Amino acid sequence: MAQATVDTRGSRRSPLEMVVDRIWRFFCSVRAAVVEIIILAVLVLLGTLRGSDAPQWLADAIPATQPAVDWLYDWDVFHSLPLMLILGVLCVAIVVCTLNRVPGIWKTIVDPTIRTNRSFLENAELSAAYQSAAAPAAAVGELSESLQKHRYRVLHEERGADIHLYADKNRYAKLGTFPFHLALILILLGGIVGARYGFREMTFVVPEGSVREVGHGTGLSVELIQFIDSWREEGIPSEYRSDLVIWKNGEKVKEGTITVNNPISYDNVTFYQSSYGQAAAFRITDTDGNLLFDDSIPLGQYTAVNNPDAPAGLQQLPQIGSQLNVIGQDQDPQNAPELDDLQLENGQMFLQLRQTADDGSVEILTGVVDPGETIQLGSVNIEYLREKRFTLMQVASNPGIPIFFAASFLLVAGLAVTFYFPHRRIRGIIGPGSDQTGSRVLMAPLARWDWSGQRDFRRIIERIETESRIAVTINERPREHAASRSESAADASE
Amino acid sequence: MESLVKLSFYCFAAGSIAVAASWVSYVLFTIGRVRLRQAELQTSAGTTVRASKAEFAPGWTSAGRFGSMMAWFGVVMMGLSVIFRTAASHRGPYSNMYEFSLAFVFVLLLIYLLFERFYEVKQLGVIVLTIAGAMCLYIWSLPSYMREVDALNPALQNRPLMTVHVSSAILAYATFAVSFAAAILYLIQVRKNVSWLPSADMLDDIGYRAVTVGFPLLALVLILGSVWAHEAWGAYWSWDPKETAALFTWLVYGVYLHTRTLRGWRGERSAYVLLFGFAAVVFTYYGNYFFGGMHAYGGVN
Repeated sequence: MAQATVDTRGSRRSPLEMVVDRIWRFFCSVRAAVVEIIILAVLVLLGTLRGSDAPQWLADAIPATQPAVDWLYDWDVFHSLPLMLILGVLCVAIVVCTLNRVPGIWKTIVDPTIRTNRSFLENAELSAAYQSAAAPAAAVGELSESLQKHRYRVLHEERGADIHLYADKNRYAKLGTFPFHLALILILLGGIVGARYGFREMTFVVPEGSVREVGHGTGLSVELIQFIDSWREEGIPSEYRSDLVIWKNGEKVKEGTITVNNPISYDNVTFYQSSYGQAAAFRITDTDGNLLFDDSIPLGQYTAVNNPDAPAGLQQLPQIGSQLNVIGQDQDPQNAPELDDLQLENGQMFLQLRQTADDGSVEILTGVVDPGETIQLGSVNIEYLREKRFTLMQVASNPGIPIFFAASFLLVAGLAVTFYFPHRRIRGIIGPGSDQTGSRVLMAPLARWDWSGQRDFRRIIERIETESRIAVTINERPREHAASRSESAADASE
Repeated sequence: MESLVKLSFYCFAAGSIAVAASWVSYVLFTIGRVRLRQAELQTSAGTTVRASKAEFAPGWTSAGRFGSMMAWFGVVMMGLSVIFRTAASHRGPYSNMYEFSLAFVFVLLLIYLLFERFYEVKQLGVIVLTIAGAMCLYIWSLPSYMREVDALNPALQNRPLMTVHVSSAILAYATFAVSFAAAILYLIQVRKNVSWLPSADMLDDIGYRAVTVGFPLLALVLILGSVWAHEAWGAYWSWDPKETAALFTWLVYGVYLHTRTLRGWRGERSAYVLLFGFAAVVFTYYGNYFFGGMHAYGGVN
């Protein structure tokens, strides 16, 4: 009869409903979720290995693996489609799985099934039985009082001559899974919001005494007053420090100092100390005396072909359609001297002016200049004022950060609640005693394969024995003989 | 300052000896006593055959007690070593692999002893103390200049975050080491059915409980690392190899928890996942040796 009913319902379902149902079941499947996490873990492992020398060690040991290793090094796993796909699938699975579990968990919390059966209790891995002199109703009262002392909620209902009992504690801890899984989605959401509505400049260079615009519609500019680096005797850097002034639409709005680990923020834009380098201050005019450039050019952002170890920089001069390349002295004695064909002396700068004519031809003019000197290259006069330094900062605005922090709190709180307040459950039947006097209590914990849960149950039984001065019989059954089906059925609704 | 550094090293040396003594005691306690019983049997042909049979009995209780005592002594010595080093450097001892490993041995011993007291079993000690002993050997093998207290480079100069981030990592790794020990003993127990080893259920439970402590702690490591990265580097996640290795480890234990709590995996399958998880911990721990990226410090490169 029941079979016929199911078939009839099945035949009434439209193909669309069946497809939706199948997709829903796929995303609810714990097995699929585990496979998805494993795929994610494998991708993360591949990406991690890619950031190490380990794959190359493998290729060195087994040359046949070199093509695979080359492929791995070329594959940007963490920005690849497979990773995005698996993260997307996991997100959907978390949402669907969570929605699917809500009714069962909520029922366990507010309206759990009280009814059980004697067979389940007798065949449980661990159970306890005792005779009470009190009538069943009074025995339930005594037992409830004992369990409540251990923070158990006790529910019971009469079924014929028996009273069925259900007791649990930490039931609200079952809700901990929701903030935890919500947090995982929020972390991804925070990343998406940050990428979509924020920005991050990895190399924001400001020479000493110069002002640079932040851009990105912020209206902010940053001026570097000075950069200071201090070193310890043993040659270890102790601090990099930049004294900054932040301007907004031409108005000074903030000043402060940044060091590594101590950024400053204004209008949700944060400035991080990253590195520093050498800069050179120039004043460039044309032959009529018109000012073309009066600022510093950071060096070290580019490399020169003739000496890749020397710090180089460039500056566009759009007024005259030219580009000024500047190369400083290679001060590292470790570098290959044979490559240094400039052979600059201390403080000198090598200049190269690339002038592009209207017909597209390029004229290259070069010269070497000392600090404080002026050199004429073609139609421009270039005065090398002095050597300076620049600070290298990262500038970022990430509106996803508050979401990330909220998610982090939810994640840790959810895990703590789930793991440190385990949901403990006990089922029991209190019936009339065998000689129709008193009552017989039989109960068992829902703790199959749960050593800690069983230990908690034993402790409760010991307390009941001590407090009520009754002899309780503990029954243990080997797991292979214990009832698993009944307990699984009891748990299924959750 | 120099005398404090020396004192710290002497305490570590004393702690190493205590770890070795504790390991020997736990081995004696755990492997039990072996008695060889011999019997002479008469055959129908009138000849005699001598048969031997090995019988195993529980180890000496006193050896177990001495093992625990030595382990506690090791905790005290390693703890003093950490304290002296902290006093000398005015920060947590987390700036290189010498300091990190020193703190790890201290926390590993302490976490193990808490589990020993809570579950009232000493046999785990034979595995955990093997790990602790191996770590002591590793610390001894490190170049001597790493024993000096160096100033922190600017990237590490964030004492509160460095302390909680690295402490959480040490705690997480230590609990995972305990779960690894439980998994090893579990696999021995279900294969050999050794009567005086803890029950398989208890070992399974120890492995699970240790992960329930370590998993949130590793989540905290990732989060605090992200908060620190946000303050120092301008991005809370940079796909740095050390970050992703920790994420990989976290995912492995996530698989363990999901398969156990939702798929009902228990016993051998779960134990194998724990072994794999600890391999991931070791991979992450020693990643500084072969990872590039922004965690490439610690005195190994």
